[in-house]
Amino acid sequence: MAGGGGSSSQCLSYAGCNFLRQRLVLATLSGRPLKIRKIRAREEDPGLRDFEASFIRLIDKVTNGSRIEINQTGTTLYYQPGLLYGGSLEHDCSPSRSIGYYLESLLCLAPFMKHPLKIVLRGVTNDQVDPSVDNLKATALPLLKKFGIDGEGLEIKINRRGMPPKGGGEILFACPVRKVLQPIQFTDPGKIKRIRGTAYSVRVSPQMANRMVESARGILNKFLPDIYIYTDHMKGVSSGKSPGFGMCLIAETINGTILSAELASNPQGQGAAVLPEELGQNCAKLLLEEIYRGGCVDSTNQSLVLLLMTLGQQDVSKVLLGPLSPYTFHRSACMSVKLSLILGAGCATTLLNCAEQHILNQARNEGLAGWASLRAGESA
Amino acid sequence: MEEKEKEKKKKHRAKHSGPKAEKKRKRYLNDLGIGEEEDARKRNPKAFTVQSAVRMARTFHRTQDLKTKKHHIPVVDRSPLEPPPVVVVVVGPPKVGKSTLIKCLIKNFTRQKLVEIRGPVTIVSGKKRRLTIIECGCDINTMIDLAKVADLVLMLIDASFGFEMETFEFLNICQVHGFPKIMGVLTHLDTFKNNKQLKKTKKKLKHRFWTEVYPGAKLFYLSGMVHGEYQKQEIHNLGRFISVMKFRPLTWQTSHPYVLVDRMEDLTNPEDVRINPKCDRKVSVYGYLRGAHLKNKSQIHMPGVGDFTVSDVSFLPDPCALPEQQKKRSLSEKEKLIYAPLSGVGGIVYDKDAVYIDLGGSHAHENEEEGVRPNHELVQSLISTHSAIDVKMASSKVSLFMDSRPLGSEDVGQEFVMPKEERQIDLKTGRVRRKALFDEEEKKENDDAVSDEEDDQEEEEAMSEDGSDGDDEEDAEEESDEGEEMALGSAKRLKTEVAKEESMSELPAFADSEDDLEMSSEEEGKTAPEENEVEEDDYDEQGTYRNESSDSEFEAVSKGVADSEKYEIASEDREMRSQLSARSLKKKTVLTTDSGNCTAEEASGSEVESLDEGDDEEQSHDELEAEVSNQKQFQHTWIKKADSSRQNKLEAVEAEDDDIENLLREEEEYEEKTDFSADTAGALKWKEDLTQKAAQAFLRQQQSTPNLRKLVYGTAVEDDEHESEDAGDELGGLFQVRRPDKESKEKANALDCSKFLIEKPQDWGLEEVMSSIKDCFVTGKWEDDKDAAKLLEEDEELYGDFEDLETGVVHKGKPAAEGDESENEEEGNDGKKSKPEAEEEEKKKERLDKKRKLKEMFDAEYDEGDATYFDDLKEEMHKQAQLNRAEFEDQDDETRVQYEGFRPGMYVRIEIENVPCEFVLNFDPHYPIILGGLGNSEGNVGYVQLRLKKHRWYKKILKTRDPLILSLGWRRFQTIPMFYIEDHNGRHRLLKYTPQHMHCGATFWGPITPQGTGFLAVQSVSGTTPDFRIAATGVVLDLDKSITVVKKLKLTGFPFKIYKNTSFIKGMFNSQLEVAKFEGAAIRTVSGIRGQIKKALRAPAGAFRATFEDKLLMSDIVFVRTWYPVSIPKFYNPVTSLLKPAGEKDTWRGMKTTGQLRHERGIKLKQNKDSLYKPIVREKRHFNKLHIPKALQKALPFKNKPKNLEKKGKTPKDQWRPAVIREPHEKKISALLNALSTVNNYKIKKARVKHRQQVKEYLKVKQKEEEQKLKRQKEAKKKIYRILGQREKKMQKSSLKGSSEGEKDV
Repeated sequence: MAGGGGSSSQCLSYAGCNFLRQRLVLATLSGRPLKIRKIRAREEDPGLRDFEASFIRLIDKVTNGSRIEINQTGTTLYYQPGLLYGGSLEHDCSPSRSIGYYLESLLCLAPFMKHPLKIVLRGVTNDQVDPSVDNLKATALPLLKKFGIDGEGLEIKINRRGMPPKGGGEILFACPVRKVLQPIQFTDPGKIKRIRGTAYSVRVSPQMANRMVESARGILNKFLPDIYIYTDHMKGVSSGKSPGFGMCLIAETINGTILSAELASNPQGQGAAVLPEELGQNCAKLLLEEIYRGGCVDSTNQSLVLLLMTLGQQDVSKVLLGPLSPYTFHRSACMSVKLSLILGAGCATTLLNCAEQHILNQARNEGLAGWASLRAGESA
Repeated sequence: MEEKEKEKKKKHRAKHSGPKAEKKRKRYLNDLGIGEEEDARKRNPKAFTVQSAVRMARTFHRTQDLKTKKHHIPVVDRSPLEPPPVVVVVVGPPKVGKSTLIKCLIKNFTRQKLVEIRGPVTIVSGKKRRLTIIECGCDINTMIDLAKVADLVLMLIDASFGFEMETFEFLNICQVHGFPKIMGVLTHLDTFKNNKQLKKTKKKLKHRFWTEVYPGAKLFYLSGMVHGEYQKQEIHNLGRFISVMKFRPLTWQTSHPYVLVDRMEDLTNPEDVRINPKCDRKVSVYGYLRGAHLKNKSQIHMPGVGDFTVSDVSFLPDPCALPEQQKKRSLSEKEKLIYAPLSGVGGIVYDKDAVYIDLGGSHAHENEEEGVRPNHELVQSLISTHSAIDVKMASSKVSLFMDSRPLGSEDVGQEFVMPKEERQIDLKTGRVRRKALFDEEEKKENDDAVSDEEDDQEEEEAMSEDGSDGDDEEDAEEESDEGEEMALGSAKRLKTEVAKEESMSELPAFADSEDDLEMSSEEEGKTAPEENEVEEDDYDEQGTYRNESSDSEFEAVSKGVADSEKYEIASEDREMRSQLSARSLKKKTVLTTDSGNCTAEEASGSEVESLDEGDDEEQSHDELEAEVSNQKQFQHTWIKKADSSRQNKLEAVEAEDDDIENLLREEEEYEEKTDFSADTAGALKWKEDLTQKAAQAFLRQQQSTPNLRKLVYGTAVEDDEHESEDAGDELGGLFQVRRPDKESKEKANALDCSKFLIEKPQDWGLEEVMSSIKDCFVTGKWEDDKDAAKLLEEDEELYGDFEDLETGVVHKGKPAAEGDESENEEEGNDGKKSKPEAEEEEKKKERLDKKRKLKEMFDAEYDEGDATYFDDLKEEMHKQAQLNRAEFEDQDDETRVQYEGFRPGMYVRIEIENVPCEFVLNFDPHYPIILGGLGNSEGNVGYVQLRLKKHRWYKKILKTRDPLILSLGWRRFQTIPMFYIEDHNGRHRLLKYTPQHMHCGATFWGPITPQGTGFLAVQSVSGTTPDFRIAATGVVLDLDKSITVVKKLKLTGFPFKIYKNTSFIKGMFNSQLEVAKFEGAAIRTVSGIRGQIKKALRAPAGAFRATFEDKLLMSDIVFVRTWYPVSIPKFYNPVTSLLKPAGEKDTWRGMKTTGQLRHERGIKLKQNKDSLYKPIVREKRHFNKLHIPKALQKALPFKNKPKNLEKKGKTPKDQWRPAVIREPHEKKISALLNALSTVNNYKIKKARVKHRQQVKEYLKVKQKEEEQKLKRQKEAKKKIYRILGQREKKMQKSSLKGSSEGEKDV
């Protein structure tokens, strides 16, 4: 085994559980082993949390031949990625984080599987921490389509809605595989032509949704007449186990840019009760804030778009982003560290467009998944 | 006689074909008046009408099919603008004339004669093409390696001998690893005396060659040698062929970066080597980068050595550059360059921090007239300097000092300063061991810091060198000139700014350290504005760029200040050094406007800066400026000495300040403009503080720009820190990295969420705030070129006038305001002439634009029908390719390299660490060294599934579990494959041997390689065998990690209790648990009775109940067929042939097969006796007599009763017949009688046969007669019946009649 040493030398090593998802996803995509130490080592209950464990289990499910070692206290994680396999799967997500937490990573991985992914996720569909399933459905899927990942297989379907703390929601996520991603040139956001959205409520009065819509429209109508907010009241089995309501707003431009904002009510038994009117207004304001930030991709999907850009072909992709979210910073940083994308993925010229916008362009691909996708997508 | 001759003279024969005849015919036709219409289609259109619609459709389909077949999937063109030299591999069996051909080719292109050729030789072959020619020996390692990098293969074939195995082997290797262009060259054609024989051989070889390559492949003939060289004209032709040849891109080559190394240097610290001669080495290799882009720190594989990580890459000026663009057709002598450092050719060789000069040994001067090297003079001029340096070197003690310098401290500095990912850039400033050549400067130094600084300076030099567009050689000349000047102390001024910079940076070498520091700091200040000014000039129109440049300027200034403060505070050595390095980094940021240089030092520096700026943010713009200038002044006061040069600097700094002012002012204006355009009807109040807001926005932006960079990289630093903590031991305890990073700890375990929460949302109730985003909606204000109203207006102008034909109403378009205006203007112009002409031109341009737009629209509409999907796709790809090209075009190489990696065509220097010492010690330039870049997970090792076929020319079959050497991707390695075949149900069944003429699957443990990659297998790479060496070929199918190869395993058991269809079986399993696992499994007896396992029995252990379709016998053996997964041996052993000592490179032996081992050691295989074949002896079966009970016998009918055939008893003696012994006479009689009777018998027999014959014939005759008789009778009967019938009819008729008649009668 003279030359076998090569693979061990490139083991990635990190400390702390921050950006665990990104690290795992990127390690999986690049096929490099990963070691994370000191996961909450100094805290009262050290080690991985249940949602993280659930996430690791999910990663294990979608891959074939990955090796995961966790020490007794759960403070050290060693992960040797296997092949992204896909197929028809089911996963019970931990209710302490919403399905969005898991779905975000799956969105990054799904196009590079060997077989098309079709997964049923159970847990909390909407909460206050993570981007909700509604949001991802409205924003991330069109984004994937821009990269050439489309067709019949691509869908997110909400079978049941589950609110925290107990959850009980269920979604179906299906994604086709692609050999190569198309480069994108996405620098002109265009003008917003319409605003859509969903106001959902489960196990509360169906009137809540209407009240939210009313108040949100009140703010948004000053800008645009074309507003339509669906109300989605789920009953019975499909309403999950906990009561709650919330709202997700989407602004669509003439060029296909989609900006989104969302808010959800406080989980049952936590915090003060929220008035639906207030929530609607706040959500509308958040959307305006998002519009103010600008960019061709909203802040939730910045990291996704950057990742897909780097995983594409060896072509120049351009995208205009608003101010980078902290998560995105870390993602790009992670990428540069892990995939040695340093300058490839890094930001470059910053052009001043309007008050507070940056163009983050020129993600020159790395050829990483040039073949990561080849490996997964091809079945010779 | 004459008459006769006349008769003899041939008559003129008019030509019937050829151009002349054609001409004549034409003329004739013309005379007739029908010549004009040569086209029969025109002349006789009726003959060409559609005859058959079906046929028409078919022909149409066919043409369409042919057209579509020609299409390839369009791909984005990624070929570099300046391609790397074409790799020409000259291959062939020994003594076929490879070296001679190379020499001749080189001579043909460059007019130089190389005595000995080692390694690749790069030459300029034309205005746009360079060639790297390399010879390929017969070692299979070399053949495999070179086939992977070859663009063109010149396959030499000894015509007097015919094809040899090497040729076919190489062709096979090529087929597997992507088929490069192959051109055959026949040599030794002069050995044929007979012309006919020669022709025949040529033809034969050509056709064989065609079957191997492709029909019509070019085969070149080199007829004979003249003075040990091929004929000039032939070589010239060959050269022309090569230099116009086009190449098809090969998948593997275009998707991986690779370097064919043409130079190698050992960079290991000599001290380390002295201490441990076997220590791992650090080497730098050089060569043209080919294929794809190469990233720093990426993984590479060196075939024959192993896997490495690139520790540093840098690009060097092209040593064998293409000529500048020119109008001339051919190259001038000066441009016919040759570069082959391994063969000792190439004049000056540039390194990152040194220049090597090839003096050509002691005979250099003698060869002067021969070597027409462009840089010859330069070499000559430098020789004197060089010797001087040598002398100096010998007498100095620097080398000692260098060696003893603790490397550890260096490392510490490096480690601290450079986080992992930034090393890419930082390494440029980082220490690289310097070559002895220009080290004389270091002698004067007694401080690390100084040396560091010098590093920086030289770095800068290099950079400025790169930056300048001038010829590299010229640059070099300048540089060296400078060196001379310095040495001589002359003060010749160089004209260009670049040169100035260089001289500045050169100066400190002679000054003391204090001065150096100042100088450099000032210099930095100076170089920065200079650079920026240049930039400004370049991009005067583009405000954005200006922003950027001013940014960097600002940064530089404030950073400089921060640094200076720091310097005052801390005067320790280390501090100084780190600061310097930081400064150098900044220098680079300024120079390259690069984003990646964020070291810890700089981060701290910029923190200060950001703090400053943070304070300033609220203040007005002027205040900030003032502060900046204050800081400047502070810097100035800090400078103690003031010499003349510094005076200049001061001025420069002041100028710089002015610049900043100007820039800021401009910035302000720009901001204003943008804001105005963005906001339409903002409240007046809001407008009031617009300027201030703009300033703030500017500040914010300014702050955020570096912050963006810093944030992206800064976090990475944090990540690194954790690692560096681990590496703390490595630093040798000299400097421990201690840092209060509680915050980062907190961060490290923060909530993992992608949402971007807003700290303080804006108040959306306010009108101003709302108006700020009003234009983001379709209801807001649009840009001019997109505004619907405006566009409509324009359209009106164009299409306004029209007449409604139905109603006859003439619509007059609104008199276009603009047009009228322009007319008016024109009129006005006539009168006044005050209007500037520029405006007019503008209008004209506008009109032209409009026209063009219309035309485009029309074209688009018109062409829409023709545009196919394919065309669209192609167009798209083309656009992408252009975009790719354009994106980084305007950046200089330094920056570009950071974004897109090193692009193919660059001459790169790659540093690699931890190379086995044997690579350096046993370096043999005859063997090619290749660096193949690996894809992202190609460095991993795992299970790989292949489709494999034993080569039909390989004599043996391959055995599972025998080690095999594979060539896959870049690598050659030994591994243990397991062969399998896929059953009809998808099961992978293990095979013991490869099938003879069939594909089979194979799985091995080895490097992950993308699917679809071809591979070949050889059993041994050592030595030469007369047989074909390639054992198998195939392709990678899958990289599945779960291995599914299974082996059949039959478990047997025996019945111990048999009921009707149920039996108890034992001996198959050992425990109840095992049985439970196999419940329901199908079992079978050897005799073919099928059954099923039902349930385990309590005792004996492992016994079970089973049911069968029939009753078993106790003698039956029951078995269950199971499949047992086979584990793949994890054996992966790269072939390290390049590490072998010179001369033994082709003797690499890896793991031996058991067969080989047994053979070597004379161990005989102990065979299982039961497995041997023996003659089958079948015992005769004896069946017992049938016994019928007496009762039954009685009941049986007599027919079936056993007859009491009693055995005849022994005949008593008295009944024995005595033997008759005849007398001779009697014998005679009996013999005669015998003979007679025989004759008689024969006669009787004959007679009988005859009689039979007669009877037969008689019978035949009889039968005939009978038939005839029957016939006759039949006819007679017929007649009779007919008559009878008629009569009856008559009778009937008559009876009918008769009745009536009768009645009548009656």
